Amino acid sequence: MFDVSLKNVLRLGYAGRTFKSGYRFQNYWDTPMATAFFCGETGAGLFILSMLLNFMPGIILGLLITGVGKTFFHLTHMGVPSKSWRAILRPDRSWISRGLWGIIFFVGFGSLHVLDQIFGVVPDQLAKPVYLLAIAGAMMVVVYQGFAMSHSTAISFWNTGLMPVSSMLYGFLAGSSLVMALNALGFDVADAGQFAMVITGQKILMVAVLMTVLSLLHNAKHGAKGAHQSYLLLTKDFLSKPFLIGVMGIGIIIPLAILLFAPVNFITTMTVTGTMLVGFYLYRILVFKAGVLDPILSPADIFKR
Amino acid sequence: MTSYGMVFDVKRCIGCNACTVACKQENSLPDGVFFTRTLSAESGSYPNVSRTYLPTICNHCEDAPCEKVCPSGATYTRDDGIVMVDAKKCIGCGSCAVACPYDMRTQIEETQVKGGLFGDGQLTPFEEQGYSRFECGTFTKCDFCSERVDAGKQPACVATCPTDARIFGDLDDPDSKVSRLIRDRMGRQPLPEKNTRPKVFYIE
Ligand code: SF4
Ligand code: SF4
Repeated sequence: MFDVSLKNVLRLGYAGRTFKSGYRFQNYWDTPMATAFFCGETGAGLFILSMLLNFMPGIILGLLITGVGKTFFHLTHMGVPSKSWRAILRPDRSWISRGLWGIIFFVGFGSLHVLDQIFGVVPDQLAKPVYLLAIAGAMMVVVYQGFAMSHSTAISFWNTGLMPVSSMLYGFLAGSSLVMALNALGFDVADAGQFAMVITGQKILMVAVLMTVLSLLHNAKHGAKGAHQSYLLLTKDFLSKPFLIGVMGIGIIIPLAILLFAPVNFITTMTVTGTMLVGFYLYRILVFKAGVLDPILSPADIFKR
Repeated sequence: MTSYGMVFDVKRCIGCNACTVACKQENSLPDGVFFTRTLSAESGSYPNVSRTYLPTICNHCEDAPCEKVCPSGATYTRDDGIVMVDAKKCIGCGSCAVACPYDMRTQIEETQVKGGLFGDGQLTPFEEQGYSRFECGTFTKCDFCSERVDAGKQPACVATCPTDARIFGDLDDPDSKVSRLIRDRMGRQPLPEKNTRPKVFYIE
């Protein structure tokens, strides 16, 4: 259903990898990269919230989602996985490099924090710096992917400051939803005040995500030519069903309605977390699938034929 | 300082794609990999229609986004302005490919190299010697035939073009043919709004 099939690529206006001038899809970053982005933002969001709540199950799960899940999917995407370490070399100019440093700080100092909490391995005067460096690394992980996309002038749909905003909001929303799910599964969040705060935060984040996704669509509709094509793909064309039903309906409207109008219990909590995560994952995939490059050069535009 | 660039004379191009074939031969490009393509675009409506051919190639951008995003340092610009990829350093992350507004990056897949031009796993002697330059999984692109340029020759596509629609030279030399053509015939860059400062110009 989500394939950029030959039929779609070759129809009028879409040049694909042909010798026709026209719009082209980016297909270099695909499902493995989208899954890595999803794991990065979900894990980092969960980790940061859990650190603030001192919620150890969330801290450990966040570290695993990013440290294992994100790393695995990045390696499956990479053309030369054995040389992936080289991505640390250019933090001065590349968001991918900065992000990798963020992952190293997040997973390294985060794991040290967990070991310290369990076995007391870190000297007292270093415990606070370790805690802060782990959060700083996780903050970088939750936003850098959005910055990496927003810096691509090639794909006008991505070339907006809303990309890192959506990364951060989705990351924290997934994090707060997973905290609620872990709590429902019996891993209790410390006190009732914190619990109420997470529920309120989840509602605010859900509304903020809705506003951000709508703003992204609005920007794309009124943006450059390539961005407008992305808007059409997501709302009227072959990506519209998964986007409107999956991302907007299942991922945002249903969980928001449950959060606002249904009582908090095991079933509603698990439903909100499940639907929200499905919507977020689809969002990550579809934003890549809808990446359209402007026609390289149109003689009609340039030479006014 | 030398700054190499190219001019495409759209009026002269007949869409024969001899340049495309010459490039594939010079660089031993596997099946499905192109460093240059001559695109066709139709304009007008019946009966007043016309077709224009648009040669495309890596623009060796002065402000190359592919270089800025490369996390491994594999993409770099030579002193003469040619944007290069060091295959030994490339990790195949594809950041350059999503950053290039001109879709000029290609990944070398193992199946393309191992399968051979006939797709049966048998490599011709030509393929055997040519494919040794590629690292599977890395991203590659046109380098203005840097080895030929270093030897004082023209890039293969320029040398082959039967209509002289491709002109190569030093953009920093005001008396070079490319500089004069751009000046006299109002050369235009592709997608100037992307602020990449391409070193490829189109004239009509
Ligand atoms: S055309 Fe693309 S690949 Fe070539 S230098 Fe410019 S951005 Fe890089
Ligand atoms: S694919 Fe290679 S050349 Fe391109 S950005 Fe990644 S490391 Fe650099």
